[in-house]
Amino acid sequence: MVVTCPDLPSASLGADPDRQPARRHERVIAAVTRFCPDVEVVEPGVCAFGARGPARYFGGETALAARITAALADLGEHSKVGVADGFFAALLAARDGRAVPPGGAARFLAAQPVSVLAGQDPAARDPVVQDLVALLNRLGLRTLGDFAALPVRDVASRFGDAGEGAHRLARGLDSRPLATRPPPADLSAIQEFDPPEPRAEPVVFAAKALAGRLHDGLAARGLTCVRVQVTATWADGQESSRRWRHDGLLSAAAVADRVRWQLDGGPPAPPDDGAAPAPPDGGEQYQPGGIVALRLVPDLLVRATGQQLALWGETQVSDRVARAAMRVQAMLGHEAVLRPVLGGGRNVHDQVTPVPFGEKTEPRLPADRPWPGRVLGPAPGLVFSAARAAEVTDDAGRAVTVSGRCAVSAAPARLAVRGEPPQRVTGWAGPWPLSERWWDPSAAWRRARFQLATEDGRAWLAVLQDGRWLIEAGYC
Amino acid sequence: MTAGQPGSFAAPAAPAPGRTELLPVLPALRGLLPRGGLARGSVVAVAEFGLLCLALAAAASADGAWCGIAGIPEAGVLAAAALGLDAGRTLLVPDPGPSWPQVVASLLDGCELVLLRPPARASVQVRQRLEATLRRGRGVLLVAGDWPGAQLRLRVASQRWTGLGDGHGRLRARCAEVVADGRGEAAMTRTRWLWLPGEDGGVAMADPADLPFDIDEEPPGAAPGLRVVSG
Repeated sequence: MVVTCPDLPSASLGADPDRQPARRHERVIAAVTRFCPDVEVVEPGVCAFGARGPARYFGGETALAARITAALADLGEHSKVGVADGFFAALLAARDGRAVPPGGAARFLAAQPVSVLAGQDPAARDPVVQDLVALLNRLGLRTLGDFAALPVRDVASRFGDAGEGAHRLARGLDSRPLATRPPPADLSAIQEFDPPEPRAEPVVFAAKALAGRLHDGLAARGLTCVRVQVTATWADGQESSRRWRHDGLLSAAAVADRVRWQLDGGPPAPPDDGAAPAPPDGGEQYQPGGIVALRLVPDLLVRATGQQLALWGETQVSDRVARAAMRVQAMLGHEAVLRPVLGGGRNVHDQVTPVPFGEKTEPRLPADRPWPGRVLGPAPGLVFSAARAAEVTDDAGRAVTVSGRCAVSAAPARLAVRGEPPQRVTGWAGPWPLSERWWDPSAAWRRARFQLATEDGRAWLAVLQDGRWLIEAGYC
Repeated sequence: MTAGQPGSFAAPAAPAPGRTELLPVLPALRGLLPRGGLARGSVVAVAEFGLLCLALAAAASADGAWCGIAGIPEAGVLAAAALGLDAGRTLLVPDPGPSWPQVVASLLDGCELVLLRPPARASVQVRQRLEATLRRGRGVLLVAGDWPGAQLRLRVASQRWTGLGDGHGRLRARCAEVVADGRGEAAMTRTRWLWLPGEDGGVAMADPADLPFDIDEEPPGAAPGLRVVSG
């Protein structure tokens, strides 16, 4: 049985300033756990558990699903529940909120289009699987039923490892068979904090190293895990334990993100309390007392096939760089280390979106649009995050203004940027008017842009807005 | 190598492949550096932050190196990308705070090149410790500001933008005179005129015959003149 909460913001596992989504998510998981103790989290907003036992207890799968939906509705969350044989079929069933009768998984899957192999979330799609889906479509195999009808050996030889895994999914089996050998030793990785660590960042940083150790231990035995259980113990004895879906696809950084998400949810609330306790306004402190231990336990081991671990963003981030970045984040905070993402926009401060390291690299404004009205030519070397006030005067010393018809009152002769000595203007061009969001009175603005060259050889992007001159960028 | 001789503007040859003691730089800048590249484990000081700093980092970044920019919240990443820097391999730390030496040392662990504008003047101990980290990690530290003891120092001695008239046109390109000196093998002063940036946003050597005006005299609009510039 799979429970999904489509309204729960799941886009980013990164730290959120007020941790609202994480706390909502924690409440949802806690509610589902009351029905079945063995819940595994697939991703924020989606969790799964084996339904046979709980269904018998609660009088049938439909009754159980109705109770879960009601319990989550009490928390204010809209949810959908799907049941089927096998995890993949249940995940698809949950999208529509239907129950596939036992034994009917193969028929249910046969009717689905092959694009479901690539997954729901556009950001988490594996490019290898996406290529496979495109190839299957071109070959005329449009549904999973068509794909499942092919003989296994031919699929393996033609489509390789990814194809074989997808074929197993299409037939309703798990994507990889469980390892038949019993796991030899305790492959879990544990990190203790003495004295207890009250802040988030060092724990998340340690989690990354722990995950690396875990993966190394598994890889040395040729294994990978389907799930990983993350257990955090607080100083007063409270414990927060979550099972996360892994499938061998998570890198150490991704595991650390899930640890951060889990810790953001806070220590588990005592059973009679409705909500998790809110952390004090220090922002990064966890009550009560700090974390004393973090444990990662691999669950359901399967043979490793050398599949590449999924990574954030288009550029591969090597472990060395990620370690360095996360160490600086541990010192200064999550928002202190940023990756620039080039995007679109008309104003110079819109065109680059800085994204905290570890989060999805997406520009605020899309890059592949025309954006008429932007200043053409070479980009400025200095872009001031807060525009600097300035005075632009003409030969007679009067401030230069621009009329409503975009007529300049007089040629600019002197530019005095606050903090710099006044300079003579040797060349200028403008006004280039820009009126944005004129339909929204609170967000509307009109500005006239100029490029001014001064006698010291530098040039500036000056903006006249509401009668005030501002320097937005310097060409230096 | 013909670079360094007066009157010659052929770009010097790239450093021999397989030499890992140097980080590559853009072809137009090779003539300014003693070995045609940035020596690993060294500090390069640029007088103030600007396109020259970003240009020095551009080729290494395009070649695959990670670049960290610390203490420069106004760094123009779009301009850097036009010069060749790969924004996907850049880390920004706009405010490293009072413990900036530790932050820079951590960044040097991950990035081969770190561009730094120190929030405060660095004491001798801080400089020595960072330089030791630098030598261990074989990275390059580009300082936008003062760094006594830097092996190489560069500055833009004079500059002029073209393209702006008297109420018309737009900024097109900048002609800049870049001067390099330093210690040891960089002790001899080298001067180059460069388009920084050129019309396409990149860096190119500027031939004095192409300069549209006489640098020392009137701004564009006056009659252009020619002046032999010592290379």
